[in-house]
Amino acid sequence: MTDQREITLTVNGTERTIEVEPRRLLVHAIREDLDMTGTHIGCDTGNCGACTVLRDGEPIKSCMMFATQADGSEIMTVEGMEDLPAAGEDLHPLQEGFHKEHGLQCGYCTPGMLMSGKALLDENPDPDEAEIRDAISGNLCRCTGYQNIVSSIEYAAEKLDEQAAADGGVVAEDGDSDGFDCGVENCCGGPSAETPTPHVEGADPQFDDVTEGSESE
Amino acid sequence: MKAAPFEHHEPTSLSKAVSLLESLDDPTILAGGQSLVPMLRFRLARPDTVVDINGIDELDYLDESDGYLKIGALARHADIEESDVVTENYGSFADAAPLVADPQIRNRGTIVGSIAQADPKGDWGSVLIAHDGEVVAEGPEGERVIPVDELFLLPYDTSLDENELITEARVPTPPEREGSAYHKLKRKTGDYAMAGVAARLRFDDDGTIADAGIGMTAVDITNARAADAEAHLEGERPSAELFQKAGELAAEQSNPESDEHGDASYKERMVNVLTQRALGDAAERAGVVKRRATP
Repeated sequence: MTDQREITLTVNGTERTIEVEPRRLLVHAIREDLDMTGTHIGCDTGNCGACTVLRDGEPIKSCMMFATQADGSEIMTVEGMEDLPAAGEDLHPLQEGFHKEHGLQCGYCTPGMLMSGKALLDENPDPDEAEIRDAISGNLCRCTGYQNIVSSIEYAAEKLDEQAAADGGVVAEDGDSDGFDCGVENCCGGPSAETPTPHVEGADPQFDDVTEGSESE
Repeated sequence: MKAAPFEHHEPTSLSKAVSLLESLDDPTILAGGQSLVPMLRFRLARPDTVVDINGIDELDYLDESDGYLKIGALARHADIEESDVVTENYGSFADAAPLVADPQIRNRGTIVGSIAQADPKGDWGSVLIAHDGEVVAEGPEGERVIPVDELFLLPYDTSLDENELITEARVPTPPEREGSAYHKLKRKTGDYAMAGVAARLRFDDDGTIADAGIGMTAVDITNARAADAEAHLEGERPSAELFQKAGELAAEQSNPESDEHGDASYKERMVNVLTQRALGDAAERAGVVKRRATP
């Protein structure tokens, strides 16, 4: 009955193998077996979202799932944010946004908010306010009234967009596309796009003007 | 709080699951776990054995085939939200999915699990009722198909045998001139329904209602059918007056309890309103009526 199961999780890019009882919750495995206490336990009932982590890129509540069910999956926690390429040498734009826009007071909900925000921006780099509010609807904050959290995520979206433009937003070298490359892989003729495809999200018309008379072939 | 210890099984095929269910005494099936995991943790449920079916890939599907929308036991609420087939043809499903709990829960929780849980506040049971849906159950005696009207017995109680597993929920593919919708009243995002109504209308070529389905959420001891309202609609032409009467009949047939969210008479009134709204959307989606522009 109290048998242990060996499970392997790739947490923030590092493979970790631990032994857990089948009744062990994922959040307890993360906090107590892996000693990563950035992921919080708020309500213990699946309501508050403080324990939100990304499992294979999708936000889930880690108090609502057994650790054995995450065996073999990739988990991202708040500790992994600063190691993301977008973070540069310091904070990830989402973390920076919460700092600059006062997206927290007590900070208890913040790890979960960051994970939900990350999942949103991965899918939708240019969300409107309603989309942001929907994405964080499973995360409760009792301090901010949410407005500053929305602003924080908007800040991050803009910052990430600027980064993409600065990193890869250059005139594409092949003349097949419309000449603009937003820098996102597999989008509008970015570096790995085998077939140039139209830029899908957040395309700014000003770039079309800039690139129309450009030097691309 | 921790769940009480349990014996744990993770079958990787349906046949293995079925033979496990046959050999075990009163096993509890774990799918999405968004209701069961907290129940285990608070020890509201203390099963000796848990059979986690998440490793059974053959149950992970959502497709339209053989005249049905088929929802496998591992299809998540989010799969419904993201499905183009659902968005185009199954209005009530497309309405209900984003109203279930919150994004994280929808990434884990399953439609079939919600139906098997038989919570009268669950949304999918009402949608299934409106569509005259059914579930496919597998057990030691083989496969059987259970119409939704024979499934829900009491809160958290179904007509499934204890060794049976629902592998699929399905509803007939809507023919031409059919539309459906789901309306739900809740205090805030993530909450269960205070009241919810799923409605489906199919029209004859002459514009009369050939078939109506109405399922109600959170206003009886199970998800419930508004049979009187359905009967009143069939054979009639759609009109505001007709839908108003159907709303009244649905409210009469509902049996809500007073609680902190509102008293019974308020909820009955809400059933009336939600029924009219869902019928209006269903008729519009069937392509037979156009709403007057709001003044």
